Amino acid sequence: MTDTAPGLPRLGTTLFSLSLEQRRPGRDFASLVNEVAARDLGPGLEMVAFQSLRGWPRLSDAAVREVRGVIDASGPTPSCLAINNDLGLYPGRLLSDDESYEYVAVQVRGAAALGFPVTRVGVETGPAILERLLPVAEELGVKVGVEIHAPLTIEAPPVAALKDLFTRLDTEWLGFIPDMSSSMRAVPDAVDDAHRAAGIAPELTALTKELWAEPGPTMAKFPELERRAAEAGANPAQVGNLKMMFTMHGKMEPERWADFFPHVVHVHGKFYGVVEGPEGLTDPSIDWPAVARVLRDQHYTGFISSEYEAHAYSDRYNAFDQVRLQHDMLKSLLEAEPAVAR
Amino acid sequence: MGPLDDQVVRADSLTATPDGLDIAVYSHWYRALPLPSLVKADLTVDGERIEPSTLSVTVNGHRYGFGELAEHGDEYWFTTDPVVLHVPVETTPGREHRVQLLLGLSIPYILTGPDRVPLVAPSSTDKTLTAAGASS
Repeated sequence: MTDTAPGLPRLGTTLFSLSLEQRRPGRDFASLVNEVAARDLGPGLEMVAFQSLRGWPRLSDAAVREVRGVIDASGPTPSCLAINNDLGLYPGRLLSDDESYEYVAVQVRGAAALGFPVTRVGVETGPAILERLLPVAEELGVKVGVEIHAPLTIEAPPVAALKDLFTRLDTEWLGFIPDMSSSMRAVPDAVDDAHRAAGIAPELTALTKELWAEPGPTMAKFPELERRAAEAGANPAQVGNLKMMFTMHGKMEPERWADFFPHVVHVHGKFYGVVEGPEGLTDPSIDWPAVARVLRDQHYTGFISSEYEAHAYSDRYNAFDQVRLQHDMLKSLLEAEPAVAR
Repeated sequence: MGPLDDQVVRADSLTATPDGLDIAVYSHWYRALPLPSLVKADLTVDGERIEPSTLSVTVNGHRYGFGELAEHGDEYWFTTDPVVLHVPVETTPGREHRVQLLLGLSIPYILTGPDRVPLVAPSSTDKTLTAAGASS
């Protein structure tokens, strides 16, 4: 496996990048893992348990052996298992704290059985549940990381509460998982395909991108987007799709990721497309040179899981090829200056 | 919105059975969801609105009334598996049907608004397809 130089963040892939590939006839879990390995897109391997593992969250011993066997045989290193706290599991009520704790704890145990060192939860898993999970995480040697995904930023109150918790507990077993969706510099062009398919006029897509790019907090721009989109003829479903552009693509300055350290346990290399520019490979919607600087400056040596998400908007690009391009770009950025000893 | 919308009802999704029309439906969400997440199946076949209470659903080899799905939070609809909607519409193999489906999936980990209500992710289908014969 190609790896970055010692002392640097390590690369990897999440199978979530291959969400469309997973649906192709003849595909199964083993074939996806094998192709990630064959294309040298490790060494880290992440997956969403509920997406990739039939029978989750109650895998049989035989299923655990089979999954471990596939990963061991193909060579990648398990980096992170994304798990979910399905608080809205039942209609009309949310899970109680006890139910929620049990729902997540079972999955942390499952991650340990599969050999993953880190699990990812969402921000709906709040400080009280995380504190209850700490003894389980410690006992199993599995970290629990809360993903910071758009529209969350360092300023969001739930994020501040988490930072307080991690500082107070002073533990390596709980922390953050930065996702670059929170710190984008442009709405990705792949959305044009999805909007065209949904019958949204190109002028509306352009309007949304224009408003997004203007200075000021994104949340404050919703009323203007709704008003101008409705004036331009968008129906309510289309307005909903346009608003999603604001929710899915955050505008935090990438330098602010430094404020999440030293509590970062894993990184999601979210991206929507890498292209060949005049000065080499570049990502039009995410400032990777800035992100790479932060990760190097913070001496982060964990994994960056390449998380290609343009598949949610468009099927015209090959996800494996895109991850390859991102790896080439990241390796070059991370190794641009001499590395310190790991 | 996205490439998976076109895969919710596929070219080979319709089957004529002695009991009616079976429609194989695939999820437009990227991960397995618990059965109560299947909250909306607004279905119109050949212009006739089908009452959800008259639908039954086969998932993981079990057949439930549509309204019973809400009770099965410990069972999951896996990412790549279809569920089969059993629709009380007379048909025969080779017959064409216009299928309009608004599928709504309640996403149990994405809570919205001050009341923390799960997001409902919609997917809309309008296709005219031919029913195959049931294999015995």
